[in-house]
Amino acid sequence: MRIGIPRALYYYRYGALWKTFFSALGCEVILSPQTDRAILSQGSRYAIDESCLSAKIYLGHCAWLLDKCDFIFVPRMADLGRDKEFCLRFRAMPDVVFSTFRDEGVRIVSCDISMHKGKSEAAAFAELGKKLGFKKHQTLTAYLLAKQAEQQQAAAGARKLEAALAGPELKVLICGHAYNIYDRYVGQPVLDAIRNNHAVPIPADWMDRDEAWQAAADLTDTMPWMVNRELTGTAVLLKDRVDGIVLLSSFSCGPDSMTDEILTRRLKNIPILTMTLDGQDATAGMETRIESFIDILHLRKDGTVCL
Amino acid sequence: MEKAYLGVDIGSISTKGVVLDADNNILASDYLWTEGDPIGATKRLAKSLEQQLDAGRHQIVASGTTGSARKLVGAMLGAVVVKNEITAHAVGTTTLYPDVRTIFEIGGQDSKIILIENGVVVDYAMNTLCAAGTGSFLSSQARRLGVKVEEFGEIALKSKNPAAIAARCTVFAESDLVHKAQIGYSKTDIIAGLCRAVVLNYLNNVGKGKKIAGPIVFQGGVSKNAGVRAAFEKETGLPVIVDPNGHLMGAFGVAILARRSGRESPFNADVADMEFVTRASNCGQCANNCERILVYREGVLIDAWGNRCERGAIRVK
Repeated sequence: MRIGIPRALYYYRYGALWKTFFSALGCEVILSPQTDRAILSQGSRYAIDESCLSAKIYLGHCAWLLDKCDFIFVPRMADLGRDKEFCLRFRAMPDVVFSTFRDEGVRIVSCDISMHKGKSEAAAFAELGKKLGFKKHQTLTAYLLAKQAEQQQAAAGARKLEAALAGPELKVLICGHAYNIYDRYVGQPVLDAIRNNHAVPIPADWMDRDEAWQAAADLTDTMPWMVNRELTGTAVLLKDRVDGIVLLSSFSCGPDSMTDEILTRRLKNIPILTMTLDGQDATAGMETRIESFIDILHLRKDGTVCL
Repeated sequence: MEKAYLGVDIGSISTKGVVLDADNNILASDYLWTEGDPIGATKRLAKSLEQQLDAGRHQIVASGTTGSARKLVGAMLGAVVVKNEITAHAVGTTTLYPDVRTIFEIGGQDSKIILIENGVVVDYAMNTLCAAGTGSFLSSQARRLGVKVEEFGEIALKSKNPAAIAARCTVFAESDLVHKAQIGYSKTDIIAGLCRAVVLNYLNNVGKGKKIAGPIVFQGGVSKNAGVRAAFEKETGLPVIVDPNGHLMGAFGVAILARRSGRESPFNADVADMEFVTRASNCGQCANNCERILVYREGVLIDAWGNRCERGAIRVK
């Protein structure tokens, strides 16, 4: 059985878990390629105008997978508990993908993750295994292996974070969703620009998720979204250990619009640059912003700019 | 022979150039329109600066470029420093006004704020990629009102009762503006309202949460608008300085950076007579199909850029 996984949205958060789970069950995992201009324009064609850039990209990846697998894996992610909600787009994604590609005869496989409805991630994956026709113990073994892979990924992130923070270079926290940061077409050019200006970008997801989630309470009592709470907490925890923060958001992300406001208003004594990505082809505006931002960080730290 | 340093700021609208001596004194300067031809504008600029300079006394040993065509003109002039205009402005302003605490800058497409303590930049913010509340906003509203944007400032100063206009979004501002005109506000009050709206928009967006202290230096094209300057003074309660040479600040800053870089590459005034040609070429090796720009001097490739990855890189021999 060939399971297609779109390389977009929460693939960048749960990819290790998903890939290991399906592989351990003996499924062949077909991963869509890195985002490029063709995938983005495909996605924009299928998506409604009001959709955020990231959801458009997701549909572009689904379109690429249509004729290359038996099922596209599109989980329905609602929440993992109180103040651990996902954006509504994730909750609606199976319906959106199904109705968008109905005429192309799309076949998707999904599972519901919603603690409000009493469905944990473990229960959701048990249900998923059952749907695909695997035995209970097979599914459980696969899920446990998948969790191990996930933990290894987290441990690697923690190591990279410590190494980056210990270095002498200028450090810039990239406060944004992993699916923006790691997307080759939209987020990576921003990180490349930071590196080209002799600074080290630190992706927010290197931070421990639980620790970050808890630290968010310093700035907000009411924010309901889990990942945005983690981003807020990461900024709180690292603000004195980095030289600047780049808020990387896709146009027109609802949760980020609120989070970015909270961070720019409430975090003091740290330069912050807001970068909103909308799939612009020309990178000159972005490069000027990054270059000037890093120059300011150098001026602030050493009193001079890199020449 | 004394050493001199050239700074060139090539924006989308205007091209500015200064030549400094080692003590930051301006030896030559000029300001001309780019007219969509940065190469031609640079040639004219080079000629003009050359004529102003005493060739027997000063020799330009290093050049720097800034502004949106900085890369192209940097390749053309053999610049030792190619820097964005924001940094160039910050360096220029802190050199001329060592006590400055806040720099407001509103250009044609962007706006930013730089906070300085003891000569060191401590904070900075820039607008998002939307040009609301910048010079282009004022220009488009001026067109709508049938008034030259250059006259805006003087007209605004005459108003006693500026109209309340939203400036967050040009589209909303336009409907506000039409509405105010239809209910009987005078053009003077509407124009003053627009200037005030730009200021409120700036302070509530770019300047939000920032502690604004004086002295304040206001620069960028919009700083030439006396109405906006007056509105800034009213809203902040602090004096706002607009340098008469404010438009040269970017060129000034990048000339200083060229000197500070310690690198030297003597400027050849012959660029004015050389042939420079640019050519666009699409890479075509993957779906991104990056658009690359190739720059030739007298038929020889001297620089190329625009590719997103190494595969599309064009090497200059």
